[in-house]
Amino acid sequence: MWQVIGRLAATFAFVASAQAARAQDVRIGALFAMSGTQATFGELMSSGAQLAVDHANADRVLKGKLSMLVEDTQGTPQNGVIAINKLVNVESVPFVLSSYSGVAKAIAPIAARAKVVAVNGGGVGPDLAELGPYFWNVIPLANFEVRAFVPYVVKQRNLKRIALLYVDDPLGNGIRKEFEAALPGAGGELVAALSVPVATQQFAGVAARIREARPDLVYIASYGAQQVAAIKQLRDNGVTQTLASYGAFSNPEILALPEAKGALFTTQLVDTDGGDAVTKRFVADYKAKHGKAANVYTINYYNIVRVFVLLAAELQKQGKPVTGENLLAQRSATRSFDLVGAKVSFEANGTVNAPIQINEIGAGGVAKAVAVVATK
Amino acid sequence: MLLLQLLVNGLQTGALYALTAAGFSLIFGTTRVFHLAHGSAFVIAAYVFYSLAARAGAHWSLALLGAAAAAVLFGVLLDRVVYAPIRRHEGSFFTLFIASLGSAIVVQNVVGIAFGRSVVTVSTPLSRSAEVLPGVFVAPLAGVAIGCALVCFWLLQHFLGTTQRGVALRALAENAQLVRAYGLHPARLSTLAFALGSLLVVPAAALTVATSGANPAMGNHVMLISLAATIVGGVGSLRGAACAGLLLGMAENLALWRLEPQWSEAVTFVVLLGFILVRPTGFFGRAHAH
Repeated sequence: MWQVIGRLAATFAFVASAQAARAQDVRIGALFAMSGTQATFGELMSSGAQLAVDHANADRVLKGKLSMLVEDTQGTPQNGVIAINKLVNVESVPFVLSSYSGVAKAIAPIAARAKVVAVNGGGVGPDLAELGPYFWNVIPLANFEVRAFVPYVVKQRNLKRIALLYVDDPLGNGIRKEFEAALPGAGGELVAALSVPVATQQFAGVAARIREARPDLVYIASYGAQQVAAIKQLRDNGVTQTLASYGAFSNPEILALPEAKGALFTTQLVDTDGGDAVTKRFVADYKAKHGKAANVYTINYYNIVRVFVLLAAELQKQGKPVTGENLLAQRSATRSFDLVGAKVSFEANGTVNAPIQINEIGAGGVAKAVAVVATK
Repeated sequence: MLLLQLLVNGLQTGALYALTAAGFSLIFGTTRVFHLAHGSAFVIAAYVFYSLAARAGAHWSLALLGAAAAAVLFGVLLDRVVYAPIRRHEGSFFTLFIASLGSAIVVQNVVGIAFGRSVVTVSTPLSRSAEVLPGVFVAPLAGVAIGCALVCFWLLQHFLGTTQRGVALRALAENAQLVRAYGLHPARLSTLAFALGSLLVVPAAALTVATSGANPAMGNHVMLISLAATIVGGVGSLRGAACAGLLLGMAENLALWRLEPQWSEAVTFVVLLGFILVRPTGFFGRAHAH
């Protein structure tokens, strides 16, 4: 009899302690393109974020377990809105990882209304800096990348006539505006600006228009499968000029394209050879888990989750609930964050400022840094 | 020269559109099944061709045979396993439409899981353009595309016009009851229509993998073009679908002469709307009394 009571008491105590631990569990949301033509990026981004979750749980940084609820947006604003509504209204998460400029612009008002922090590590549309206090970016936006890129190609590479092939969305239109603003001052000229819809995969006719403009360099402001198709078809259809883009060219599928050899692209400066413990651990564990090196998007989404973990741990230490409002206040009170590749501090508008690295794709799909440009 | 270049591009695109549109038109015209998964046959053929030619290193002719077998098998299985039971029990247009849509979504996702969501290509020097006139670049594959389309249409016309099976297929499009009265089997003829229709996408799928690359979602675009071409050409008219496919390909490319690339696809639907308003029966369609 006593044995039975003892076992019941032990079971009750175990259940009670498990419930107490679950009460401390923290959930965050993530909006990734896990299917559709942008799914390559979804896989890269989610792998980085998940590793950060695993690290946080292994280190027991937070009271309770951290988990991430991933919603598939396919990179489209419509799906992004459905997903953020679910995460905010049904799952009640205080923090959401966002990707793609179009998705970010669609979800930001909903996140702001619910006082949920949304953080972008992939979209680089310049207007992502203007989405309010609850929207943060850990990636330098395209205006920084274009402003660093234009003087480099015009003055150091003597490539003055630029043709822009851009996707007709907030990212592409933002990059066009930046080129129009930056080129005249640097001594360059925008000789063609051709917009394509997000789903376009045919570029033979576009190649003819580009050839007619006789540019020195063709800048492709797009992403995912579309960029792969554009590079191959431009080369197949007689466009021999230097190709260039922003960080989206760090996509492993693009690096592997023989047609991409010689292309230039910008990324934020990330020092993965750095000696700090955070970077070393990330590089080693990512390689061990996935059998390949991480790219800049993987690092950015690891860093976003790490920012959340650092802020939430501090809030828990202070006995405050992990809410969007408290996370925002805590970020303002935190001077800098030790992240993978760099120590980062946020500007008042929720953006980060980092030096820009210009990379060139060489033989065998290996990208090498050819210049580093400080941005203001 | 830009106009001439766009004309050449339009001919190449139009030849491929004509083949896929003719396949859809053949299936829809004879069976009245709104075969939304026609784009999936294109995707399957493209990925089998890619697997054999690029991954397994098979000769292109073997890869093409494999792609043809896969596309035909898909079309026939879909007809026998999915559409036939629906037709037997209920046969409503809407149920068949949803079954087809569901099949297309399944194929898109299975291909995405198996091969990834990005673009796959088969590298060939034939996709590289050479400057044949100042400012005009043509790839050998453009000639292959146009040649393929001509040969396929000649063979199809010959089959439908001179063989017993072909005549029976045409009869099925006119009156299924009458076909049954003559001792023929509409179900078997329907399977033949699916096999032929699916086979027609194979050259276009293989050429697309080599020129612009394939991705799992490309079936949607193929389907959209096939549908527009079927309406513009006149429902049930193979000749009409082929001409309309060519017209849409040309219009899409020639639009680039004066318009931004983002409007070129819209031109397809302006042409479609124009036909619906001015000539609802299409190029060669006939008005039906109800």
